[in-house]
Amino acid sequence: MKEEGKHKKAKKYGMVINLDACTGCGACMVACMAENNVPFKEDESNKLDSIAWMRVYKLTNGKSYPEADICYLPRPCMHCEGDHGHSPCVSVCPATATDYNHDTGIVSQIYTRCFGCRYCMVACPYHARYFNWWDPVWPEGSTKYLSPNVSPRMRGIVEKCSFCFHRYQLAMDKAYVEGRTVLEENEYQTSCTQACPAGAITFGDLNNPEHKVHQLAKPDNKHGGRPGNPNVFRLLERLGTNPKVYYMSSREWVRRAGDNYLGDEDFAKTHRH
Amino acid sequence: MDSALIPEGVNRCSFGKFAIGIIIVGGVLLWGVYAMLLIWLKGLNQTNMNDYYGFALWIWADLGVIALGGGAFFTGLLRYIIGKDELKNIINYAVLIGFICYSSALLILAIDIGQPLRGWFIFWHANVHSMLTEVAFCLSCYFAVLTIEYIPLILENRQIDKVPFFHNLAHNMHEVMAIFAATGAFLSFFHQGSLGGVAGVLYSRPFAFREGIFIWPWTFFLFTWSAAAYGPCFTLFVTRLTEKISGKKLVKQNVIDLLAKISGWTMGTYLIAKIIDTWYWATVSAPSMGFNLIDFYSNNSFYGIWILVAEIVICGIIPASILLTPKGRSNSTLLFTAVSLACIGVLLNRWVMVLQVMAIPVMTFENWVLYIPSWQEVATTILPVAYGIILIMISFRYLPIFPQERELNP
Amino acid sequence: MKIGRRSFLSFVIGGAAGSAFTPLPWKLIDDSSIWSQNWPWTPVPSDGEYSQKNTVCTLCPGGCGITVRKVDDRAVKIEGMKGHPVNAGGICLLGLSGLQLLYGPTRVKSPLKRVGERGEGKWEKISWDEAISEVAKNLAEIRSQGESHAVGAIVNSDKGTVSNLFKRFLTAYGSPNFMTTPSIQDSYRMTISLMQEVINAQAGFDVENADFILSFGSGIIDGWGSPVRMFKANSAWKADGKKVVQIESRLSNTAAKSDKWIPINPGTEAALALGLANVIITNSLDSKKISQSTGFESFKKLVQNEYSTDKVSKITGINSTAIVSLAKNFAQASKPLAICGKGQGSAPGSLDEFMAVHALNALVGNINEEGGVWAVSEPDYIKWSDPELDSVASTGVQKERIDGAGSEYLHATSLLNRFPEVINSGEGYPFKALFVSDANPLYSMPDSKAIKAAFKSIPFVVSFSSYMDETASNADLILPNHVYLERYEDVPTLAGLSKPIVGLARPVVKPQFNTKHVGDVIMLMAKALGGKIADAFPWDNYEACLKETLGIKWDALVENGFEFNGDKCMLEGDFNFYPEAMKSLSDFSPVSIEGSALSYPLILMPYDSIRLANGYIGDPPFAIKAVEDTVLKGKDAYVEVNPKTGKELGLTQGRHAFLYTPRGKAKVKVNLYEGIMPGIVALPRGLGHTAYDKYLADKGCNFNELIGSVEDQVSGLDAAWGIRARLTKV
Repeated sequence: MKEEGKHKKAKKYGMVINLDACTGCGACMVACMAENNVPFKEDESNKLDSIAWMRVYKLTNGKSYPEADICYLPRPCMHCEGDHGHSPCVSVCPATATDYNHDTGIVSQIYTRCFGCRYCMVACPYHARYFNWWDPVWPEGSTKYLSPNVSPRMRGIVEKCSFCFHRYQLAMDKAYVEGRTVLEENEYQTSCTQACPAGAITFGDLNNPEHKVHQLAKPDNKHGGRPGNPNVFRLLERLGTNPKVYYMSSREWVRRAGDNYLGDEDFAKTHRH
Repeated sequence: MDSALIPEGVNRCSFGKFAIGIIIVGGVLLWGVYAMLLIWLKGLNQTNMNDYYGFALWIWADLGVIALGGGAFFTGLLRYIIGKDELKNIINYAVLIGFICYSSALLILAIDIGQPLRGWFIFWHANVHSMLTEVAFCLSCYFAVLTIEYIPLILENRQIDKVPFFHNLAHNMHEVMAIFAATGAFLSFFHQGSLGGVAGVLYSRPFAFREGIFIWPWTFFLFTWSAAAYGPCFTLFVTRLTEKISGKKLVKQNVIDLLAKISGWTMGTYLIAKIIDTWYWATVSAPSMGFNLIDFYSNNSFYGIWILVAEIVICGIIPASILLTPKGRSNSTLLFTAVSLACIGVLLNRWVMVLQVMAIPVMTFENWVLYIPSWQEVATTILPVAYGIILIMISFRYLPIFPQERELNP
Repeated sequence: MKIGRRSFLSFVIGGAAGSAFTPLPWKLIDDSSIWSQNWPWTPVPSDGEYSQKNTVCTLCPGGCGITVRKVDDRAVKIEGMKGHPVNAGGICLLGLSGLQLLYGPTRVKSPLKRVGERGEGKWEKISWDEAISEVAKNLAEIRSQGESHAVGAIVNSDKGTVSNLFKRFLTAYGSPNFMTTPSIQDSYRMTISLMQEVINAQAGFDVENADFILSFGSGIIDGWGSPVRMFKANSAWKADGKKVVQIESRLSNTAAKSDKWIPINPGTEAALALGLANVIITNSLDSKKISQSTGFESFKKLVQNEYSTDKVSKITGINSTAIVSLAKNFAQASKPLAICGKGQGSAPGSLDEFMAVHALNALVGNINEEGGVWAVSEPDYIKWSDPELDSVASTGVQKERIDGAGSEYLHATSLLNRFPEVINSGEGYPFKALFVSDANPLYSMPDSKAIKAAFKSIPFVVSFSSYMDETASNADLILPNHVYLERYEDVPTLAGLSKPIVGLARPVVKPQFNTKHVGDVIMLMAKALGGKIADAFPWDNYEACLKETLGIKWDALVENGFEFNGDKCMLEGDFNFYPEAMKSLSDFSPVSIEGSALSYPLILMPYDSIRLANGYIGDPPFAIKAVEDTVLKGKDAYVEVNPKTGKELGLTQGRHAFLYTPRGKAKVKVNLYEGIMPGIVALPRGLGHTAYDKYLADKGCNFNELIGSVEDQVSGLDAAWGIRARLTKV
């Protein structure tokens, strides 16, 4: 009973992305950029230094024409919890500039605290963290569309997806004014979730059985949040990062692309644990 | 011209020759300083690092110089704690080299961070879970220790020594040096180790990650051990180089022999541990994360299995074997080859633990990413080398670094 | 006191040591880090009062509703409008980037008059009064010489009040040359008019209710139709287990997401459709009531004689079993739907293909049925009385159109694709002046060289563009329009919707620059010209005109942002399987493309990506940032080539190559892609801009510079689907 009460209190916001529905249209990427004042520069074609909190990867099945197949995979920050309570990035930050919020399960980044050592980027296997190699520069007049909810970042620090944490705060403020402490499922949704024209992204509290994310992923919290749904997987599950972004695909090759397997390894067996 | 400053009873080249040397190396130093200022003013976009290479040449240089500077703590440990008295004839130089290495490392770290003005947050907002915090604290403390160890040497300059206060200070400092040596050894154990931990704790980077004991991954111990093994080799290497350049024998063969032999044993045992570690990692750790050993060494144009062979066999087992045989140690060419190879070996190890970690794709749909440093990165990495050479030139000229020099060069 | 060296040194050292124990250095260190946290050159967005406003996105013909979030008078974010019948809260990346167009560096900030050579980029800022009198002066002069018919306008579409004001202006002025940007809507409109004998109808697709979608290369999730609606439909099909079959020679996103991808020899889609028709008829799977239709017997004879499965298999490269099973699956589905129009449908394509596909729909009996193709009546709320014409105007409008629409090509209403050639060849009359609004022909029309040459020969070009696009930068005068977030405008949306909708774009923010609504500018021009032309525009201003035109709809539009008739509004007509135009002209013969196979062994085809806007609007910075690095890298565009073809040509991944076609040459990079048929080179549309801003210009190459227009024999529209090409190592 006590355990249950505790669970109810701590939320674990997460996502389920339906890769069957995802069309690779890129709306999530731009929705994120527009929401979070992400800067841009003249050439963004070098993806090694192009800030995209949400990045859509293109996966191929490696087969030849006409058996070739592709699948898109949107990659926000995974907001890892870590199997042993340490997300890869939070534990390495020397200045406590990135933090794991135990109330929401969201990994934050404190821009004014970060001094740019980039150890967290090294620790993140998803390349979800981006460094401000340049001062952000907006063309004349373009600062007008900057949102006051998210502070623009200065040069020399790391930034990443926050699950639109400011939206959580705004929703909580509103709820508080209305005398509530609990948010409805639709009160707090990330910008990418809201924008996705294919409805491929579902966002909510993984700990709340009423929320769609929970129903889709069926996370097993006793085993590091492993998905109970056989079509659901997480990226690099085997590393024990315990990410909060789940992917759903009916195609086996896509599910297999989510993690590394030895050549002779029985994927189905490994995947189902 | 400056003969009054030169230690008594030793010969030094003319001041003109010395000045020309300083100017040439000073030019390189200024080039590095220019690059450094560029980076501080314009930011890290001056480098070729990117979001896939958060750590690159500089972190390798940091890890490299600290491993090479490991001669200072290990020689100190042997001299003051274990009581290998002969080593007093090389300890000064080991300390100087250590001082150079550690000051360089701190400088590079100050260049390497995106917000140098906030660098002190690492102390103020310290996260005790981070290996980098441990590195920062131990490194700064040990640098302070090295400074304390270096100061008496400066005070022994002929002119400074004339001032009674400084003379007495130097004397008293020597008296308590064992305490500092012990402190240094302790601190070094932690920061060398935590530098190893920097890569080893990355449980989401299968190439770097190592299991371990308590909070420390095996790389923690391997780094300390390898610094102890390979650091003295660098001391020997630089000593030999100084002897060659100055044209003088500076340290007696028995001292060299002793340090080489200890280094050989340390290296040998380190290599056994390293091979066991590599074996376990290749057959148990990596496969459990879905990787075969060969995955880390294929599908790219640079990193092949050769780099593992070069590190462990060519620059590990071979120099260790030379150092472990009396014949090898007594043959100066062989000895020099051995210490040179050893230095390359430890640098290679640090390279793969930084750069190769970055290069290897972890997600199945990503590719290898290789990197070539920008000239600004190269210049700022050479900067400490130039600075080190200048400091050695000045120290060698004006300070009694080698106690046996007068005896060996009557 | 005498200060010696020693005491000086002591002082300095002592002072330094002493300061270290004061708070000063620590304060300085702290201050410097606080400064680094508040660098004055990193902007801090001001906070204020939050509000939101609903309007319509006009960046593509899709007609999505959008909600703009505002802080005080700043628009800070565009989101999909919840509950909107087209997009139901969804939005595409172009719509999301709209504020970068509003506030971006590419805006034309005031009327501009060219002072240097055309395209040189030298402009003089002029006042609106000067601008209007400049236009009026030129137009009056042309008119006085009796050449009013030699004035034309290129606009986005022929729907809505703004387009109709342009049309009215030309009529009152005395010109028949009102031209629109072509798209598959022209082909569908013509198909319906020929096969169903209903006019002014568009094809509406009841995709939400279809259960087997057979797409002949239509980019269902690559921007075809109303993009967000199609995304939603696609997701719904997936969720409900409905089937999608994609016929295309390249594994597009649509093909990858379909249940079955059937690669086809490019350009043979019509043959496949007829082959499928043959299987359906032969196996008596066709809808029985349709067999009574006009032309059915001739059609049946045609497909049975000319499109046997084996023959079609040879033409299309699809094996016979696959053809038969596809035909059966399609016909036996309860609500099958076939669609065509390649990619986003920006190129009209061959009419044969549209008719063949339409016939296929008719065969399975889905015309005007649930889940099928509907002949949807175009909105007709504009009920202005015809303008009274003076003698010049009556003579002028009687002249033949320059593009041959309505004369040479009887069924067409506008043939912009023919315009450059007619002008350049000197076949038509010399053109005196051209207006361009909501269109960027210098970029988006095939054969850029020809259209540029045509523009060169027109002495007076006026652009109404809000942005410094390719056409605006080659104009003589720019009279910048407000952008869609600053103006009122009715937005009638067809775009394949089964239930058309009229949206109302409303000013979300006040005009940012010295721009003017194009509707107002038209009225000012008319007033300046005086006489009957002025009389044709009895309204005070555009807003008054719009209010009057919409009449009782106005209030509802202001309230909801859109007017939506949820009822079916389809037009019934008799289906004709084999219209005369078909018989006499093309007999469903395939369209051949330009170039000889000998000197150009490969085929270049365009492909559309939702991340690359390729029409009047160019990609804003966010959108171009989202483009993959296998499409664009630095200044190079990638062409997709099958690894097999790459090997034959000695081309490896990422290598530079020269791409030659009979129309042009470009330097490209090679992306070896297993998803493309060997022998084909695919290049994305939407790159290679030369105008706009540094975020878009000079990136990759423009597909339109490499392709020419191929006239469809029946429609006169551009039927080119590709061009022969050669790819060589650099």
